[in-house]
Parts: sequence; C-alpha cells; structure tokens
Amino acid sequence: MEILERLFNVALIVATIRTTAPILLVALGGSFTTKAGIFNIGLEGQMLVGAFFAVIGSVFTGSAWLGVLCGVTAAVVFALVFVVLVVTFRANEVVVGLALNILAGGMTISLMKAIFGTRGSIVGQGIVGLPPVRLPGASQLGSFGQLFSGYTPMVYVAFAMVPILIVFYQRTRLGLHIRVVGEKPEAAEAQGLSITRIRYIASLLCGVLAGLAGAHLSLGYITMFTENMSSGRGFMAVAVLIFSNGDPLKVLAGCLLFGFSDALALRLQTFGFPSYLVLTVPYLVALTALFALAYRSRPRIITETMDSMKRLLRTPARPPDTTRTGDR
Amino acid sequence: MSEASRRIFGQALAVLFALMLGTVVIIIVGESPVRVFATLFEGAFGSPERIAGTLLQTTPILVCGVAACISFRGGLFNIGVEGQLFMGGFAAVLVGIYIPLPPLFHVLLGIAVAMAAGMAWIAIPAFFRARYNANEVVSTILSNYVAVLLTSYFTIFIFKRPGGWSETSQILPSAYLPEIFSFSRLNWGLVVGLVLAVGVHLYFRHTPRGYAVTIMGQNVKFAEYGGVDIRRHIMMVLLASGAVGGLAGGIEALGVHHRFMEGFAPGFGFDGVIAALLANGHPIGTIGTALFFGALRSGSLLLEVDTNASREIITVIQALIILSVSAEFIMRRRGDSMAAERRWKF
Repeated sequence: MEILERLFNVALIVATIRTTAPILLVALGGSFTTKAGIFNIGLEGQMLVGAFFAVIGSVFTGSAWLGVLCGVTAAVVFALVFVVLVVTFRANEVVVGLALNILAGGMTISLMKAIFGTRGSIVGQGIVGLPPVRLPGASQLGSFGQLFSGYTPMVYVAFAMVPILIVFYQRTRLGLHIRVVGEKPEAAEAQGLSITRIRYIASLLCGVLAGLAGAHLSLGYITMFTENMSSGRGFMAVAVLIFSNGDPLKVLAGCLLFGFSDALALRLQTFGFPSYLVLTVPYLVALTALFALAYRSRPRIITETMDSMKRLLRTPARPPDTTRTGDR
Repeated sequence: MSEASRRIFGQALAVLFALMLGTVVIIIVGESPVRVFATLFEGAFGSPERIAGTLLQTTPILVCGVAACISFRGGLFNIGVEGQLFMGGFAAVLVGIYIPLPPLFHVLLGIAVAMAAGMAWIAIPAFFRARYNANEVVSTILSNYVAVLLTSYFTIFIFKRPGGWSETSQILPSAYLPEIFSFSRLNWGLVVGLVLAVGVHLYFRHTPRGYAVTIMGQNVKFAEYGGVDIRRHIMMVLLASGAVGGLAGGIEALGVHHRFMEGFAPGFGFDGVIAALLANGHPIGTIGTALFFGALRSGSLLLEVDTNASREIITVIQALIILSVSAEFIMRRRGDSMAAERRWKF
C-alpha cells in the first residue's frame, strides 16, 4: 500500500501533465492534416527538426522565444515539403512521411556535428530554456498550487489549444472547409473549394504545432537536444489520431493516457524497475489502444449484413410490395 | 522508349536530382562535395577488402529489402523490419549458444528459429490488420521500439556474458554461417539474400498465389470480387514479410557478430525498407538499390575517419533520393480530379 501511495499522488498528476504536453501539441497539429484527409506519418520528423532548430535558435540569439520561432519555422518548412510532394506531386503519404523522418534524423545529427562538433547531444553551450510560468496566487493553494503553476509556457499552450481547436472546427469557415475536404472531397470540389489550397493550409498549421511541440521538448521539457529525442512521440501521436479521427477532445483523452503511462514509467524507474522494460510501457499502451479501438470500430458492414440477413430469414419470402411508395 | 526503360530513366534522373541536393547539404555542413563523394567511393570500392565490406553491409539491407518488398507487393507497409531483425537475431543467438548440434543442422535450426521469431513479432499487428483493419504502418513502427528495448533488456539482465558489457556470450562455432573469403566477414548470407530475391520475384511472377497477392496490392476490391480471401492473404503476406525480416537478423547474428549486443544492427531494417521503396517494391531491383545503400554505408565508415562530415550525411542523401523518386513517379498521373484520388483509409 505504501508503494501505491508513493506512486499515486499529486506529483504523478503534475508529471502526467508535463509528459502529456509535447505529445498533445504534436497530435493536435496532426489533427489538422487528419481532418483534411491526409495521413501524416511525418509528424515525428517535424517535431525533431523543431526541437533541433529551437536549440540552434536559442544558442545563437540568446533568446528562448526566438529559438521557439526557429523551431517552428523549421517544422513548417518540413510540413511544406510534405504537402508539396503529397498534394501537388501526389506522392504516397507514407513514403514521403517516412523519408522526411529519416531526413530529419540524419540532418539533425549531421548539423549537430558540423556546428557543435559533438555526437549524441547538445547540453549547455548557452542554450536558453523557456522560463517556467508562476501563476499569481498559486503559492497560497499549498501543494495543489503546483497542479496549475510552474510549468513551462508550452504546457499551457498545449492544453489551451484543445478548446481553441474545438471552436475552430465547429465555428469557423476554415475549420469547416478543412473538415469537408477530409470527409467529402467530392462535395468540396463541387462547392468550388480548392482542395489543394485547404490541404496546404492544414499541413502548414500542422507544422506550426509540431514545431511548438519540438521546441517544447528541447527548451521546455528539458533544456538540451539529443539524437532522435522525439523518440516515437510523433508515431504515438499518429496512433492517437487514427482512433480519435482528429477530434480535439478524443485527442486530449488519448494523449493523457500516453502521458500518464509515460509518467508512470518514469516513476517506476525510480522504484528500481529495469529502465529497458519500463520504457516499453508507453509504446505497449499505444499498441494496445490502437488494437483495442480497431477491434471496437470493426467493419460495421458485417454486423449490418448479418442483421439484414436475419431480418430476411425471419420474414417469409414474398414478392416485393410495390404499393408501399410513401415509405419515406 | 519502352515503359520499363522510361521508368528507369526517370528514376535515374530523380536520383541525380537528389545527389545535387545532397551536394548542397554537404556544402552547408562545410565539407567539399568532391572530397565527400570521392571518399565514399574509395571507402566502398577502394580495395578487395572494401568491396567485401560493401557486400557485407549489402547483405542485411538486401534481406530486409526483400521482406519489405513482400509486404509492398500486397499493398501493405511492414515498417517493422527493424524490430523483426532484432527479434530474429536474438532468437538465433540463443539457439547458437544453448542448443549444441552438428554444424549444418545448428545453422539451419538457428535460421529457422530466427524466421519464426520474426514471424511471431509481426503476428499480432498482422492479425489486427487482417481482421480489424488496424493500421499496420503505425503498429509495426511502434513495435520496433519495443523490440529494441526488449532485446536490450534480455541481453543485459538475463543473458549477459559474465564480465562483459551489454552483450551475450559467443555462439558455438558449429552455428557460424561460413565465410566466403578469408579476408572478410562476408558470409554465405549474401548468397541466401540473392537467391531469396530471385525466388520471391519468380514466386510473384509465376504462381497463382503470388498473382493473387499482386492483384490484392493493386486493387483490393478487384481482388475480392475475383475470389481472393483478403484477410487470409493479408495475414500470409505480413507473416512472410516478418519471417524474412527475422531471417535478416539470423544472418547478421550467425554470420557476422556471432553474439547479440545492444545496438545489434542499427538501421538495417529501415535501410531495407527504403531500398525496397526505391526499387518500387521489385525484388530484383532491390538487389541493385541494396548494393547502392550498402556502398553508401560502407563508404560512410571511411567518411567518418577521413573528413569532418558525420556518417549520417548518407542518411540525408538516402532520404533525399526517396523524396525525389516519390515525386517522380507521380508526375505522370497529373490532371485527374483531386477528389477521386485514392485516399489513405484509417
């Protein structure tokens, strides 16, 4: 019991919020492309270049916020290449996404060696991290104050994005257009909407959020850059997007699940569980969720056919009734 | 110009374009492109030993490439070759250490177990893809991370060589895959890979089941109307692909390293996948692209020694090649409605 008490407490919630933020940001970015009908496996790479160039920007300008801007710019460039190839040149989304991920991995390592002369990671070197935000009055709440206060800015941005995106999809013209292009491209085309334009916009918006996620990873979550530091978060985000279909609330729920398993894994490590096993937990959770939800949304057509067949078998066969025309 | 030669010409043009972009990247990184490419070539083909080294790097890329080809042929993406390679390699090493057998049988058993391990590792994603349409791209990618962590755990916490550092003991010599030349670790795995590539090609070309899979890859609905059992074939294709991925690990374990260690085969699975993509999913073409990537890898070892560029610069070049090739083979399909285009279905 004592172990459970030490495991589940306010600090775990705080840790969950911290670990959820990066994956939530990147998944919400992916929600734009998902809603617009693009399968974006390149989130991982966008996040990675975002993290790298945020560090570069931070080191060379001495300002964390200019670093964030650099990171976002780099991720947007990747998103632009992605959408040019996928939409304009009609290349396969999976192929382009994977290639961009590989490119991001190779490029960041090569540039790291060229600029800093090191392999592995960039620590120190004058990286300026994002300062934690202390909300006024939070200190009076005692230990619950830390639930709301003291995170780095991107954590607030990530959670604030959820209601913003809900409103965006429900209430704005662009949000509606993105949804139409994703769900019924024929209708969009008939309406005279440019599918190309909408998909470009969606992908670039996705790049912005993926870049923020990356910048958060290297300037907020921790203040350093490591080879392949996105470590599959982009892919987990894609898993979330598959079963949430990009709906912001469901994305939040999925990301909280991964954030929680991540935080729990980190916690278990301090209890002496081998880190190699503990680190598999978030991936296993992602896989389980992917499979479980695929099972739940198994092709309805089968059950529908079964139902209609049952109905057929129950009612004795007779010639089609031609008099019932006012049925609808 | 015939269709095939036009396509090869187009691919070559795209590769050339990518190499030009690569040149720009090399300049940005602060190296001389001439020097980098010369070093790469020197490192890959400079001497008989280096050529053997290139072929040594080619072998796992080729086998992994064939694994990916099998899945592409059926319209599926097995991006988890890397994970299957790790599981296969680890299983083969266990057989090599703990089950003493006469030489030939030992190797065969090791290879068979490696293939079974690769197959087992893809079985769950394959089942959920075949049965419930769970996206196999994401599930196989995520299982890569699990495979790497899991094998590391077993290596370090259970099967660690006494006194060693994150590696198992050596396998018994009876389990060694024999070497072809005395001066290199190049082994018969290369021959296995070549035979496999040709065999898979012939299988898809000349057997009814191979034809069914090909049709399924081109148009699932058409295949279904034609009487192909889609679920069964998806399952079989992914299992076969996983088995070949495991085979790649078995060859690496029994032929090259003779033990398992952390970071057993970095990136061969991914290189295989992109080699197969570059060859447009054609097993014979994959022989060529695997050789190309093997040469790049082998050359990059010298690159790291002789220049200031890091060896990951070749990853950049590879990615650029895939990107420009992916754009190239679509250009022909311009002009049709955006809406009518096949979209990825979740």
